[in-house]
Amino acid sequence: MPTRQRWTAAIAGFCITLLPAAKAEPVLRIGAIPDQNPEKLNRLYGLVADELNQQLGVKVVYVPATDYTAAVSAFRTGSLDLVWFGGLTGVQASLQKPGAQMLAQRDIDAQFYSVFIANSRSGLKPIHTQKGLIALKGKRFTFGSESSTSGRLMPQYFLAQAGIKLADFAGGAPGFSGSHDATIALVQSGTYDAGAVNEQVWKSSLRSGKANRSKVVQIWRTPSYPDYLWLGQPNLDKRFGKGFSAKLRQSIISWRSTDPEQKQILNLFGAQQFTTVTTGGYRQIEQVGRQIGKIR
Amino acid sequence: MRPAAPLWVLLPCLVVLPVLALLPGISHGGGWELVGQFAAAALRPSLDPIVLGSVLGGLAVTVGMALLGWAGSLVLGLVLGIASSRVVWRTCYGSAAPASWIRRLLAIPRSIHELLWGLLLLQVIGLQPVVAVVAIAIPFGALVARVVSDLLDAMPTASLDALRCSGSNSPAALFTALGPPLLPQVVSYSGYRLECALRSATLLGVFGLGGLGTELRLTLQSLAFHELWSGMWALLAVMLLLEALMGWLRRRWAMPARLGLSQRGVGSQGQEMVAVAMTLLPVLVLVAWRLEVHPASLLQWQGMPPLGAADWGAVGALPWPRLIGNTLMLTLVAASLAVGLAPLLLLLVQPWPAACALLRGVWALGRLWPPPLTALLLLFVLQPGVLTGALALGFHNLGILGRLLLEASETSGDNQDQALLTAGVGPRLAMLYGRFSHLAQPYLAYGAYRADVILRESVVVGLVGATGLGSQLLEALSSFANDQLIALVLAYALLTLLGEDLSDRARQWLLETTHGDGHPQEAGGTWR
Repeated sequence: MPTRQRWTAAIAGFCITLLPAAKAEPVLRIGAIPDQNPEKLNRLYGLVADELNQQLGVKVVYVPATDYTAAVSAFRTGSLDLVWFGGLTGVQASLQKPGAQMLAQRDIDAQFYSVFIANSRSGLKPIHTQKGLIALKGKRFTFGSESSTSGRLMPQYFLAQAGIKLADFAGGAPGFSGSHDATIALVQSGTYDAGAVNEQVWKSSLRSGKANRSKVVQIWRTPSYPDYLWLGQPNLDKRFGKGFSAKLRQSIISWRSTDPEQKQILNLFGAQQFTTVTTGGYRQIEQVGRQIGKIR
Repeated sequence: MRPAAPLWVLLPCLVVLPVLALLPGISHGGGWELVGQFAAAALRPSLDPIVLGSVLGGLAVTVGMALLGWAGSLVLGLVLGIASSRVVWRTCYGSAAPASWIRRLLAIPRSIHELLWGLLLLQVIGLQPVVAVVAIAIPFGALVARVVSDLLDAMPTASLDALRCSGSNSPAALFTALGPPLLPQVVSYSGYRLECALRSATLLGVFGLGGLGTELRLTLQSLAFHELWSGMWALLAVMLLLEALMGWLRRRWAMPARLGLSQRGVGSQGQEMVAVAMTLLPVLVLVAWRLEVHPASLLQWQGMPPLGAADWGAVGALPWPRLIGNTLMLTLVAASLAVGLAPLLLLLVQPWPAACALLRGVWALGRLWPPPLTALLLLFVLQPGVLTGALALGFHNLGILGRLLLEASETSGDNQDQALLTAGVGPRLAMLYGRFSHLAQPYLAYGAYRADVILRESVVVGLVGATGLGSQLLEALSSFANDQLIALVLAYALLTLLGEDLSDRARQWLLETTHGDGHPQEAGGTWR
């Protein structure tokens, strides 16, 4: 064989090895944006994928996601099979993908709370009834992330019920700190007089000492509403075999803190354990989302 | 009376005065502690192996995305650039009319920021690695196309005419006459585009499209500053390395400096270029394979979500004048800050080498930091709003402009500077009149172009709220309000097209009215 042909053959062979392997088995692609320690989950995602892989016997890939909107679109387009959504994003995603399955949620998610917190020098006192939120008028106020259920949607809803419009805050608009951690830090530092955060993150910040009780205090706890959930694609059974969705749900629900790996996962999600989903409650989220214009 | 040429450079600085006057009104001071923690963490980045592992992994993805997007944009840009060149059409077809049509069409993809491309593609294709690559390739490609066609059309046609007259066919004549002088300029410009691509890839990550940007945003939001800085230092190292490599290649291949005034022909380094290009190809294939970038997934379009009917009444009821006004204000303030502060700061630190080095470092950080993250950081001490967004964008662009000015001022006006110095003039004045008088026009011309870029970029600081079209657009995205989204993207495109036209006119005016000596046409016109 002349040298030239030999080279051509070698290069062609090399190129073939580069081609992606033919589609053999389906891969379960999961994604999550937890409200707490998202950067850690991003690093320890191997844990969740390994755990599911062990229990279900399918290849599991974790896809890091930072952006709620991106995660919803990724779910709709089928790039993600199983996603840990917030209440609002979960409803947005299931409306956009009819037949999506609400597989599991944490023990705390069926009755979830937000808390309003205030800087201790702001002069804001604990509020006993929802009407008392009127004291926030003219104060510097911040929400968390724009699409967050506990950091924006429900607090905004409860504020509206108490007769406070977004334009009533100092500066004519509220801030969006971007995350619950940032909201706590900003209210604690006095950048904002008050803010709304997810109760679970607030409690864990108090425990860890990130939040200093002498500088930032809780002034009101909202009524309960349903929040986070694991949402699965409608076609899981078709792709992974009959009964796969049920197996998947069972697997998530079976995680206990007695197992060291599962304990790490549960800690990451700030959960004692996962349970089945009470779907009815999310109708309230949908209604609120529609009122506020985040669902159309 | 007109101010002397070099003083023009300092004129935009005047915007600092109203900004300083307004700052106390929007600051609440309380967050300085957090900013202090952030700054202190710079010295003690986290060295946890898990953190470092994910930083390096993210960095590899970002660099890979940048490389692929850049390569795509070059291919796209060269093909489209030749297709939109007047001289090519005139030579091959007899009329230049199709060129101007293609040119006009290309303005549309260019007018939409890569972030918007990314988020829009995400809607139709899904979260695939290829999205970020294509999001970079499309607007960059259209930009490269414009530069290539401008370069082609600005070339002297004597050799082309000679070849045509001697009977060679059109493509061969074009290739022979215009190819060699085009190559060094394209290579030099493409090196600069690679730096831009790295910045864009990081930015796309901030908005959830993968890579180190994702990591940076998450760590900032969790206030994990030590871990944030691990990522920052790694990114800084890669960026400086890349810039140094590009500078070295540019010098080695005797390329014109970016704002430089002299042009030389092709060096004898053609073989090296070919060798580099050849090694680049398998590297690109390998990167695409590792990142699982499958071009085929581009064809798998997903239907749009089953949503309610479009409500155009509500779209019309958006506060358009305020949105557009805020966007323009944001652009103007950010551009003036960036354009004006770069020469001023350079003059201020001129006598002290240490301060000069520090300034370089701060500018490098400015280039590196995605503006939305600067904006999030600024929120610790400032209220959300136009000014906060403008400061974030201004800082980023100051980093870019500053480096450019620094490079240019090192290579031009050396004699005048020395002459003034020996005549007993202070170092600052010597720099101002010696070096800057050459650069004033090309620099301002580049500044006009930069303002146009900033207008496009203003969408990325929409995160901090109340910043005009950008924040409304992100809000529409997260509400999946497609009607609003379409209207806002169109408004953005229209605005940037107008802005481009305006900045083109400003640039032409600046480059054509000669105040001093020098040949600014070549220098300022091509660099974007």
